[in-house]
Amino acid sequence: MEGSLEQHLDDTMKNPAIVGVLCTDAQGHNLGCRGSLSDEHGGIVSVLAKQAASLTKDPTDSPTVCLESDSGNILVRTHGTITLAVHKMAS
Amino acid sequence: MTTALTQGLERIPDQIGYLVVSEEGVLASAGELENDEHTAGVIMQMVRTACRFRLHGTAEPPFKRMSVMLEDYVYAVTISGQKVFVVKRQNNQREPVNV
Repeated sequence: MEGSLEQHLDDTMKNPAIVGVLCTDAQGHNLGCRGSLSDEHGGIVSVLAKQAASLTKDPTDSPTVCLESDSGNILVRTHGTITLAVHKMAS
Repeated sequence: MTTALTQGLERIPDQIGYLVVSEEGVLASAGELENDEHTAGVIMQMVRTACRFRLHGTAEPPFKRMSVMLEDYVYAVTISGQKVFVVKRQNNQREPVNV
């Protein structure tokens, strides 16, 4: 059942700029991860996405949170019940 | 003191509001974020959450800037001198056009 998700995660990591990817459910449980992002980041990622959602009254406007630093950008967004985090190096 | 904190923020292009927040509370606010305690509170929560993010066990803070991108606007957040600076900017990005 997870085969398709695992394949997507592998495909995502083929992008040379991407060094980590993480999927969690609404409770922050890890659904799959690769590279620099792992289990320990799941809770923080899902909480950050939830907190960002309360900045808008529009439930269809899903915010993208971006943590920018010298070691790259971590982009977080929720789609439905899944929260996705991508660690991307600045090009 | 407020002018020193905010005169730089006033000049940021496309800015439509800003907040300066410390642990004690809101130090300055303007534009669409004037007196916006809700946004100030949520952003502070997000800063505390994001600061717990650690990659490979590094000690340094995980971000220089946190951006929250919504459809029409973006909040740019940074920390300096124990204060959190939030600027709300118009987001004029359009989706790329496929031809």
